[in-house]
Amino acid sequence: MLVFTRKVDQGIIIGEGIEVKVLRVGRDGVRLGVTAAKDVPVHRLEIYEEIRRRNAAAATDAATLVSLVTRLKTSREE
Amino acid sequence: MSALDAGEAVVTFPDGLPGFETNREFLILAREDAEPFVIVQGLGPNAPSFAAINPLRVVGGYRAVLSGEDKARLLSDDTSELVWLAIVTAGAGDTPTVNLRAPLVINPRSLRGIQLMPAESDYSFEHPLQAA
Repeated sequence: MLVFTRKVDQGIIIGEGIEVKVLRVGRDGVRLGVTAAKDVPVHRLEIYEEIRRRNAAAATDAATLVSLVTRLKTSREE
Repeated sequence: MSALDAGEAVVTFPDGLPGFETNREFLILAREDAEPFVIVQGLGPNAPSFAAINPLRVVGGYRAVLSGEDKARLLSDDTSELVWLAIVTAGAGDTPTVNLRAPLVINPRSLRGIQLMPAESDYSFEHPLQAA
């Protein structure tokens, strides 16, 4: 992992045109500003990871899917 | 009338889904015999598949907010036409749950989709699956 020391109003640039700037340093956290092209998705890491875990738990393969849906239908109708 | 209305369409998720970033194309199958569930089948080798359901079928009045970036990624300016699908998790033995917090949102015109990742939401990642 690359590690930088940055002060307020300083930042880093990632690749072509993704800028991350320190806007404020407070007792509860650091406020960051991200400037990137509209087609670059930017998300909070812990939320992304949470969704990644949920998606992995829900994922199945195409062959199992039909029996899964059948099971879901049955449990819903009970 | 879009292909989705006819019950079957290939939808592109330009960012993939978290955990499955390289799988961009999903076949969405709304088959009558699967009702109310919808099959979201990844295309390509080792692609993941999911069972999903319209969140309105689980929680009446379900409503999530799209950001300007979300709408831009969906190429949508008419949010009323969007198709919403919440992913269902059915672990062995457990009560099936529905991810109402991070639903899939699909524009049936552009056939593009995203998974919503709100920082804040009133909805749960694991809402028990029951009829609305």
